[in-house]
Parts: sequence; C-alpha cells; structure tokens
Amino acid sequence: MSATQLAATARRQAAHAPSGISVQDVSHTYGARGAGTLALDGINIDIEDGEFHCLLGPSGCGKSTLLYLIGGFIPVQSGQISTATGRVTAPGPDRSIVFQNFALFPWKTVRDNVLYGLKKAGFGPAERAERAQRYIDMVHLTGFENAYPSQLSGGMQQRAAIARTLAVDPGILLMDEPFGALDAQTRRVMQEELRAIWRNSRKTVVFVTHDVQEAVFLADRISIMSARPGRVQHVIDVNMPKDRDETILENPEFIQLSEHIWRLVREQAVAATRGAH
Amino acid sequence: MIDMAEARPLARAPNSPVRKAPRPSRSIAPQVIDIGVQVTVVAVIAGIWEFGARFGALNPFLLPPLSVVLERLWEDVLAGTALVDVGLTLYRALVGFVIAAIIGIPAGILMARSAVVRWFLDPLVSIGFPMPKIAFLPIFVLWFDIYDTSKIIMVAFSCFFPIVSATYAGTASLDKWPIWSARSFGAKERELLWEVYLPMAMPQIITGLQVALPVGMITTIVTEMLMGGRGVGGAMIMAGRFADSVGVFSGIVQIIILGFLVVKAVELLRRRILAWHPETRR
Repeated sequence: MSATQLAATARRQAAHAPSGISVQDVSHTYGARGAGTLALDGINIDIEDGEFHCLLGPSGCGKSTLLYLIGGFIPVQSGQISTATGRVTAPGPDRSIVFQNFALFPWKTVRDNVLYGLKKAGFGPAERAERAQRYIDMVHLTGFENAYPSQLSGGMQQRAAIARTLAVDPGILLMDEPFGALDAQTRRVMQEELRAIWRNSRKTVVFVTHDVQEAVFLADRISIMSARPGRVQHVIDVNMPKDRDETILENPEFIQLSEHIWRLVREQAVAATRGAH
Repeated sequence: MIDMAEARPLARAPNSPVRKAPRPSRSIAPQVIDIGVQVTVVAVIAGIWEFGARFGALNPFLLPPLSVVLERLWEDVLAGTALVDVGLTLYRALVGFVIAAIIGIPAGILMARSAVVRWFLDPLVSIGFPMPKIAFLPIFVLWFDIYDTSKIIMVAFSCFFPIVSATYAGTASLDKWPIWSARSFGAKERELLWEVYLPMAMPQIITGLQVALPVGMITTIVTEMLMGGRGVGGAMIMAGRFADSVGVFSGIVQIIILGFLVVKAVELLRRRILAWHPETRR
C-alpha cells in the first residue's frame, strides 16, 4: 500500500472511531458584530467517547446553532471546538448529521441517497451495495429502495435519512430534533431504535431536542440550556439502566427525574417568553 | 415496525411489495375524459371552420375550408417542399435554443454562485429580458448576413433570457439542507455543483427551457417572415404576396402541428428528468 493509501485508510478509521467532543468558551453572534443577536454565550461542554448527550432547551436557545458549530457548518467565532481528529473548522465525515427536516436528496432514490454518503466515504462498490442494503433493512425500508423521498411518509423519510447517516459509520452522530416532525407513535419507535442502535455501535451522539421526556429516555447526560443568549444552565446525569424500552416510562425514578428537569426547563421557557416582551 | 398503510397509496416504489388495488371496472380514468373533451373541442372548431367556409357563411378566399388547406398541405408534403420548410424552421429553432441553453444554464448558475458574475450579468439580463429581442434583427443581419447564421443567433438571443433568469432564480434560492448534507459527507465545492446545485435547480431550469422553446419557435417564424427565403415563415410570406390564402393557412397548420409536437416532446422530457419530483405523480 502506498503512503497516500495508508493515510487515507488511517483517516477513514479515525472517522469511524468514537470520539469525545470538547466545547470550550464558545460564543456565537448572529448578524453584524456588535449590533447582532448573541445566540450562545460562553458554552463549555465536555462530551465523552461513546456518550449519548442531549442538548435540551426552549426554542431559540441556540441549541441547534451549537450543533451546527460542532458539525462545522457555521464557523466558530470565538472559543474552540475539538474532537479526536482535531479542531473543528469544517464539516467532516467523522461527524455525520441528521437534520430535523431530513435533508434527503429528493432527486435520488432511497438507495442512491444511502450510496451517496458511502461513495464519498470511500467504500468500495461491493461494500457500498452491501452496507446500503444492510442499513435500509435496519430502518425497515426494505422494498422501498427505489422509491423517491417524495413518495414516502415523513417517518419513512426520516428513517431513510438516518440510514444514510448511520451507513457511513461516523464516530460522532449529530441529531437536530430528528423526530420533531414525526407523529407520536413513530417517534416512540424511532427513539427506542436509536437507543438500541447506539447501544450496539457505541457512537458518540449529540441529540438536540426540546422534549424533556425524549431527552431523559435517550440520554446519558443532558445539558439544559438557558433562553437566549444560550448558556449551559445545568448538566444532569441520567442514571437509568442502559437498556431502555417503553416500560421505563412508568419507572418512578424516570418520572421524578423528568419532572425535575421539566421544572428547570420551564424556568428557562418562562424567561424566554418574558424576554420576548 | 413498518406498516404498509404508512406509505401513501399513490406513492409506491416500483418494486414495492404492495399489491396494486384492482381498478373499479366501470369507471373511466379521468385522463381519458380530459383527452376526449379536448379532442372534441378541436373537432368542433375544425368542423365550424370547414362547414362555415364550405356553405358560404364565410368568404372562402379569406378563410378557405380546412379540407382544402389540408389537401394543399398533403400535396406539399408529397412534393417535399413542406418537409424542407418545416425541417429548416425546426433546425433553426432547435439549434438556436440549444446554443441558448448551453450558454444560459452555466451563466445562470454562475450568477447565483459568484458575486462578480452577478454584478456583470444582472443589469444586462434585467434590461434585456423585457425588451423585444426581435428589434436586434437588423443589427444581426448587418453582422451575420441574411442566411442561417443571423436567424439562429436571433433565436439564441431570444431564448437566452428566459433560460438564464430561470436558472439564476432556481440556483439562488436553493434549500441549504441538502447542501449541508452533501458537505457533511465530504463533498467538495466543485462536486456540489454537479451533485447538488444542478439537480436541485433542475425543475426551475426546465421551466425556463419550456418558456424559451416557444419563444424560439416564434422568433424563428418571425425572422423567416422578415427575411424571406425557405422555412415555414418565409413560405407563408411568399404565399401571402401571391394572394394564396390556402398556402398561408397551410403554413399556419404546419406551425400548429410543429409547435404542439415540440412542446409535448419537452413535456415528456420533463417528466422523464423529474421522475423524482412530486409534480410528476399527480
């Protein structure tokens, strides 16, 4: 193998390794500097290798902005974000993202959507086809490989988007309210599946949501963010069994923790509505 | 976990395991009714034309009966002159149109992606779009002689504006999410152009082409009429000068058939290229 091939292989392996994420003193202003809106103010979060971390907060608290910064989609203005592969400056295959509105390529079939990421990630043709089918099967879209996104329901589109993202096996999985557009039942099933996928693959997951129950059900740790400007107000450990299913919803500890977190989030939501007046 | 009811009934993957529901036997598909009504309207108009002219309600010189016009058209087809004229007109319209597309689509994309190109082209397009392009014909004749070149350039010039505007509008207003997705999978800027911008803007680009094509046909006929020579427009002007009203109407019928076929062909092409788009499955 040549040196460049070796380097490429090393990069690929690095992209698949789970990695911690360090967010240090990150602030972000939208609009003109000085006159703009301060969206994030001095954020410090350390996310460990293989952790399932939820960013929870009222709408407009900058949690999606923080996720896009980690993803490298918007440039870091002040502070620093780094992962195992170094300082984040641009999007990279080590950090794959699932957006709230799926962001599938509407002109590609489900299979071609999944194949796109695999091709970019440098998998060979045989492995591409095999992995695409495996992940399509995993999200239960078997039989819909040749369907276009517009032919699918919202839940099916989001599953296709998740398959596309998981297929490239990123070390870090970023999720921006991925189940926000789904109906309650589909949402519950997807949460359970995501938790199971994460348990089996040990990825670092950063999951943005404003749904307290969703955060408690999914996360190892939850960062509760304040209303604008977004700050990390509390970091809460979720000491629940690793294997979780619907039964946990009736667990008294789960209910108690949810209520506790709900009160903390409510304070911020109330502050946000006051701030708007 | 998957429930087949979750898939919308009309929106089925080609190899989907969902069985096709048997169609109720007595109902007629709405498309068949549509086509039937449309054909009837055309037939009624043709009938009024034919019998109005034949039974003296209309002056047969000013409006010769349809059958006489079709007979002349048939003679011209057999003699080969109609095919030469239609062929020449189609050739000029299509070559001009394709040149406009080859220049206009990249120009529109560049306008959306590069501020420098936009500064340069935006004022030109804004001024040129609403202007009657045919006013440039004398200039083009002066520059490019009176034969095919000037006609084709005239057509390309007319078609350029709708194509560049539609492409620019389509590429400038792209949804950022698929672009971000592609970037997160590692697509580079140069790859984004082919892999994301172009397919995403394709519906608007094709709309621009669909606007431009009839413009190209009109421009071709008008330049032929103004400049004479062969081609449907030239033949009609010639017939007019000889007070040959049947010949003029034969030209009109040729234009109608030609325009209809060309526009239908582009519609089919659109459905093919945009097979993924929700509009394709109504």
